[in-house]
Amino acid sequence: MAKTIMIVDDSASMRQVVTIALKGAGYEVIEASDGKDALSKLTGVKIHLIVSDINMPVMDGITFVKEVKQLDHYKFTPIIMLTTEMEPEKKLAAKEAGAKAWVTKPFQPPILLAAIAKLVLP
Amino acid sequence: MPQVRNNSDSQFLYASLPALPVIFGGLVVSWQDGAALDTVCASLLLVLCGIGSGLFLWHRHVNELAHINACWEHDENSKIDAVETYTTELERLLLTISPILSQHVMASREHTEQEIISLTSRFSGMVNDLKQIVDSADNTLNGQHDHLESITNTTRDLLQPVLESLRRIHQVEHGVMGEIQKLSGYMSGLNATAAEVHNLAGQINRLANEASSVGEQGFAVVAGNARKLADDALQIDQRLTNNATDIIAAVNATVTVSESAGQVDDSTLFQAETNINQTLSQLRLALIHYRDDIEALRNNAEQIRGEINNVLVALQFQDRVSQILTQVENNLLNLQKTIEKIQKQGRNRDGNMLRVDEAVEHIEENYKSVSSRPNQAQDDSDDLTFF
Repeated sequence: MAKTIMIVDDSASMRQVVTIALKGAGYEVIEASDGKDALSKLTGVKIHLIVSDINMPVMDGITFVKEVKQLDHYKFTPIIMLTTEMEPEKKLAAKEAGAKAWVTKPFQPPILLAAIAKLVLP
Repeated sequence: MPQVRNNSDSQFLYASLPALPVIFGGLVVSWQDGAALDTVCASLLLVLCGIGSGLFLWHRHVNELAHINACWEHDENSKIDAVETYTTELERLLLTISPILSQHVMASREHTEQEIISLTSRFSGMVNDLKQIVDSADNTLNGQHDHLESITNTTRDLLQPVLESLRRIHQVEHGVMGEIQKLSGYMSGLNATAAEVHNLAGQINRLANEASSVGEQGFAVVAGNARKLADDALQIDQRLTNNATDIIAAVNATVTVSESAGQVDDSTLFQAETNINQTLSQLRLALIHYRDDIEALRNNAEQIRGEINNVLVALQFQDRVSQILTQVENNLLNLQKTIEKIQKQGRNRDGNMLRVDEAVEHIEENYKSVSSRPNQAQDDSDDLTFF
């Protein structure tokens, strides 16, 4: 059975690029346009991994990660930050919030897929 | 009020200055001629005239100053009104333009995003199509060698029995020709037998002649029968000879035709075998070319797929463009809010409320933050970090 991955990004084109890469590797994909939209979709459905941007309207990625870690059903779901940010402070904030990996945009699909393959839950 | 005091001082000065020479002249006349009543009266009259002249001049000066002040105030008010009008119009311009610019930026961002999505979708479809081509080519190439051998061997296996059949037919033809030649030999033997029958008929005939010459009646009957027998033998011999001659002629003709056909068959068989081998070689060559073409197609498809994947990575610049345009939208919105807030202050607003330096610094910092991010990480270690 295919693993399900949630992609959270306010850029529709980025969501599409990530979706193409993930579907090409055999994953099911759920899309969300920001942190709040993503939280509204975490309604008990099995999510094996989350890929999230940082700079988003309504709710940014760091806040979203913190919110996810408060949810019993999803607190152990690994989260990868996919962002244009490179500042060490932001990386540290993501790490402290509970993210498991950091991938820089623009990304090479094999790199993201390697990170997912390493972290995705069975 | 300093203005009033100044006016009083100048009024006193204007009034006293013309009187001072008169007073001085009166004192000099009084000192030389003594203080006569008429002199004092004349002096007082002159003093009063001087004061009157001074006050007249003062009023005239004040009126001129008032006129000048009025002109200056009117001029200043006109300038202030012009500046006020300019400021108001500038604010109106900014408040009108800002939403329009924001809409343009937003429309550009959305349009670019839609087009990038469309492009990405098309490129993705092409990548999938190329992947199918590559997979199909891989499958074909993986089984190609065995397949090539298989086709060649199958064709050879199919043609080999045909060749064997032709050889067998050829052998049979040779066998038939041998049998016909043997038959021809037998016909010669039959011809010899006919000759012997002919000889026997001659001997019987001679015997009949000898029997008739003896004269005995009994022998005459025997001679007659012997003669008849000899005639029959001769007739048989004649038919036998005729038949043998016809058969020999027919056999000879058959042998000639068979030998000729055998030679044709040899050459046809050789030609057929040569043609079949050439056809098999050409088939094998064609299949090798076919395999090479598939391999070239596969390599090209793989190369194009790699290029398109790189394009898909490059198209992620839209994310950066989108961020920058969002920043522009936000900055325009903030500018609009600031001007609306200041505009509410009416004539009490001043330039410091704009806090231009602070706003510019904020905008520059935002743009620097967005635009300084590299298009591509410097090395792979920057691309992925595990916590």
